[in-house]
Amino acid sequence: MSGRFPRVDALSKACGAERFAADHYPEGCLWAGAFRPGAAHARVLAVHTAEALALPGVLQVLTAADVPGTNLQGIVHKDQPVLCGDVVRHAGDPVALVLAESREALERALGLLRADLEPLPAVFDPREAMRPGAPRVHAGREGGNVLMAAEIRKGDAARALAACPVVVRGTFETPRQAPAFLETECGVARRLPDGTLDLIVSTQSPFRDRFEVAQALGLDPLSVRVRAPYLGGGFGGKDGATVQCLLALAALHADGRPVRMAWSREESFTAGYKRHPSILRCELGADRDGTLRALRCRMVLDTGAYAHLGGEVLELGMEHMAGPYRVPHVLVRGFCVYTNNPVSGAMRGFGVAQATFCAERMMDRLAAKLGLDPLELRLKNVLGPGEENACGVRLTGSTEARACLTALRGHPFWTTRREWAAQAPARTRRGVAVALAHNAMGYGGGLPDMAAAKVELTEEGRFRVYCAVSDMGQGNVGGHAVLAAQALNQPPGELDMVLPDTERCHPSGSSSAGRTTYTFGNAVLKACAAMTDKLRTRAAQFLLCDDPASLVLESGRVVWPGAGKSVPLALMARFLPRDDRVCVAEFVMPVAREVSGSSRGFVLGFPHLLFAYSAHLARVELDELTGRVRVADYFAATDGGGVVLPQGFEQQIQGGAAQGLGLALMEDCASRDGRLLTPDLSTYLVPTALDLPEIGSLAVPSHESSGPGGLKGVGEVAMDAPLPAVASAVEQAAGIRLDAAPLTPERVLAALRRTRKKKP
Amino acid sequence: MTRVLLPATLPELWEALAASPGAPLLAGGTDLLVRLRARRQRPEALVGLERLAELRTIRRQGRSLRIGALATHAMIAGHPLVLRHAPVLARAVSEVGGPAIRNMGTLGGNLCTASPAGDSLPALAVLEARVELLSAGGTRLLPLSGFLLGPGRTALAPGEIVGAVRVPLAADFQVQHFEKVGRRAALAIAVVSLAVLARLEKGVVAEARLAVGSAAPTVLRCPEAEELLRGGRLTLSALERAAKAVRVAVRPIDDARASAGYRRQVAGNLLLRLADL
Amino acid sequence: MTIRFTLNGRPVALDTDPGRRAVDLLREDLGALSVKEGCGTGECGACSVLLDGELKLSCLLLAAQLEGREVVTCEGLGDQAAPHPLQAAFAEHGAVQCGFCTPGMVLAAESLLRENQDPDREEVRRGLSGNLCRCTGYVKIVDAVQAAARERRGGRRKK
Repeated sequence: MSGRFPRVDALSKACGAERFAADHYPEGCLWAGAFRPGAAHARVLAVHTAEALALPGVLQVLTAADVPGTNLQGIVHKDQPVLCGDVVRHAGDPVALVLAESREALERALGLLRADLEPLPAVFDPREAMRPGAPRVHAGREGGNVLMAAEIRKGDAARALAACPVVVRGTFETPRQAPAFLETECGVARRLPDGTLDLIVSTQSPFRDRFEVAQALGLDPLSVRVRAPYLGGGFGGKDGATVQCLLALAALHADGRPVRMAWSREESFTAGYKRHPSILRCELGADRDGTLRALRCRMVLDTGAYAHLGGEVLELGMEHMAGPYRVPHVLVRGFCVYTNNPVSGAMRGFGVAQATFCAERMMDRLAAKLGLDPLELRLKNVLGPGEENACGVRLTGSTEARACLTALRGHPFWTTRREWAAQAPARTRRGVAVALAHNAMGYGGGLPDMAAAKVELTEEGRFRVYCAVSDMGQGNVGGHAVLAAQALNQPPGELDMVLPDTERCHPSGSSSAGRTTYTFGNAVLKACAAMTDKLRTRAAQFLLCDDPASLVLESGRVVWPGAGKSVPLALMARFLPRDDRVCVAEFVMPVAREVSGSSRGFVLGFPHLLFAYSAHLARVELDELTGRVRVADYFAATDGGGVVLPQGFEQQIQGGAAQGLGLALMEDCASRDGRLLTPDLSTYLVPTALDLPEIGSLAVPSHESSGPGGLKGVGEVAMDAPLPAVASAVEQAAGIRLDAAPLTPERVLAALRRTRKKKP
Repeated sequence: MTRVLLPATLPELWEALAASPGAPLLAGGTDLLVRLRARRQRPEALVGLERLAELRTIRRQGRSLRIGALATHAMIAGHPLVLRHAPVLARAVSEVGGPAIRNMGTLGGNLCTASPAGDSLPALAVLEARVELLSAGGTRLLPLSGFLLGPGRTALAPGEIVGAVRVPLAADFQVQHFEKVGRRAALAIAVVSLAVLARLEKGVVAEARLAVGSAAPTVLRCPEAEELLRGGRLTLSALERAAKAVRVAVRPIDDARASAGYRRQVAGNLLLRLADL
Repeated sequence: MTIRFTLNGRPVALDTDPGRRAVDLLREDLGALSVKEGCGTGECGACSVLLDGELKLSCLLLAAQLEGREVVTCEGLGDQAAPHPLQAAFAEHGAVQCGFCTPGMVLAAESLLRENQDPDREEVRRGLSGNLCRCTGYVKIVDAVQAAARERRGGRRKK
């Protein structure tokens, strides 16, 4: 990698040379596929496998009876069967696993499998699922269909609201959004002669996967090896077991042969993990001058048939319901509810995308009611460093939200908003609006956010960094290369970067929560510091220098500037045994220590300490004849701490904003009676190059002292602001308020017509 | 194993069709192969048409253009004869899918798929195109409305293929308008579409032809609306009157992409775009 | 049945089911792993190839249809030692994040630039409108294509 290519992986990917998990076709591999009957809720009376087994090329058809161990996977709650035995709870639940010699034999076999099902009463609306007497998704479960009921409380919101001179209210709905990564869930597995289960999977959580697989299948977790190549996208949908347990099960029955599984796009929609649909109700009270006083709100999330990370999504969403503003009195109640819908799980924005729609539209409501400029209202209430947020956490980390807003205030798109709107062409309405998002970084309270980085001086005298957190496109491998290169004073292209491998790297948590470059990067810096110390001390021996601190690392050698002497690293490496050439260091993300608010009901997560902030501006055009919304221009000003990789920073902001715009305009995994109405990419629409605007990005000056190079994670924050920004711009354009996403042409046109009818 | 027959001449084609009577016909593959996948069907044989070069030509034939059934959307969108004599068709097919789909998909395929939402169909309807059907027994010519019988249904008989589409020259229609409304700007199935040809004499409509797509079982001409426009100017109020007639004429359905109500409303609304031309 | 065609300038002959999908043939039998499957229904562009110079989707092509033709995949445009200007531009301009859409995107860009040497941003977007990217928001992809186009024209701006 030369200095011309900022990311270590960019050229190999651009040449099509990089090997993803999907690209593995080991010699003699078997093809595995799951049979999913497609019923939303049913008792499984029988699975007829004989026809399929009789096909040439079909080796095995496994059912629940063939699963050793608990047959239950899950990240926090182990509630999801690997293969369902007696009941299926959503249309994607599998009841059988086929092993075949070829793709064709697999497809034929899957077409011949039949299940006898007895339909069970099902529930598809989370509010309905909460009512007593609703059909139970998990029979006999204490708590019924409510996976988690929780509360965040600060001060006395009820009393404060009653005393507020102004109160605005709203109810909002967000859809089930699919991650729709280009590389579907996939991997290969093989049981080695020594009993090791060797997996290569497109996964965000290689270390945790070992435990999920082991617990589900009754294995020793240390006998499971997981390697994660570069992922063809993840966005949360590959956090936790997708193919892993099925692949491992197949490998156990494959007589030592490798097995391959790759979900079809349709299967990815049906069986994969998606953003929790949400219903948000809110009351926001303020003084007449716009000072926020109290917030009372309720969040209901539909987690589908299994928990995945539903409780944690609820927690994070609830934490963000007040927005990055000073609100003295807060009461947030939340419910994460089982239904017989497809499974909701982690997805970029993780509850915050939902909450931000509500929080920001409530600010717009308030501004409108008070006749205040929406940007000024936000400036009036925005949190600054050292202040207490809505959960009562004192913001001791970098907090440059104000700078994000002032960047928009001065932007020509904002200053010319009225003129631009006035110049709308025929049959077009124009509007300009802003939204401010914040998004916490890391796992939060109760779960140590830890990474362990290993840096090695190889026998040849090169530096090797063992990356333990998956790179799903966010470029963290490249980021770690830059950090290590800077710390070791070597050209980044000279570093050897090892991709996550549970056998060679050290447990460092999942690639999620905006944490990877921050937590792992910090660990890398510590390991590099230890390596630097070690090498200077050892080089001092070689050079007979009595002051190791005066030596410096340079490309390929250690130099004694004072004496004009140096020793090559390659030479030193030959004299050091392996365990003397390796430095391992850990880093744990700091957690909030001063918390005046309280929470109830959470298992993990409450509260978070460090936040990224991003203020977005959308210029929107609305076509009166069709209701189509076009985002003409878009700009984001972000506080991500110090910027180590300017291009990487922009990539995350533009990419996050693009997915947020998709959520705003067209993405909706709609379902009816538990069956997806959007089972493929022709019906589930993600934005094409013609659907998105130029997206400008500015990094506001900031520095997170606890972060490597001063950075914070910006992987998620840009996802959260587009929906409220676009909804607000549409309201500015046409006076219509759409409180349900996405803002489809049909919804927009219907709202326009309602407004017209009201006119005299 | 699937047998894939690729005849290079028409006689070879008739032989292939006779030998494998149930075999689906493969042109661009962008509809057929997607359908086969969705239905998990694996036919024993397929008859591919792509080597029949004579079906791919576009030429002028008297007062018409003869567009071979295997002409791709990309070919048609950029062809000088189409751009000169029937630009509304070029506009319509340039909205199909994306660049690769336009390189693969054919006009014949679009016709035979007979989707209510087919992008070429409203343009062909206002051009009053005729469909040339070929078989071992000879040629027959059908008007478009006689060919498209319903969603996914055509008048194609066994042993027959669409050989070409004959499009009367239409350069004297100054207004050649097409608008497709999808849920996104590319790779979209039309939720409703409108094609308009209008011939103006000193600003007054001498003849108007309107066809709406995706708002009825097949593409729909709107004679009542056309009549309302004839003899007047393309003013907003004239267009609004015609729009009302369009809304009465269409027979849309609800589906995952849009409701019938939306389609009805927008089918009429699209006409108002002409006021801004 | 034996299918004969040229892959990235090399003649190949394969005995295979003629009804097999071209994407499977290319990936599984010929090691052209840059051709990705993203959907199998022509909706994402990840499986794009150049077939006799035309941009097409290999998930909707059958093996039999490759007979006698020239197939070019992203590997055929260039490699890391000698990258094609588009590949280098993608890598340089941040157009690559997860990289799964990239090979198809590069081919679509090549196809565009063969028709139009100086596309404006809207024209680039239209040329790439059949290729989905979930990571980048397309902005830097457009930057890269325009940069490669400039380089190809020798740095001269026609428009």
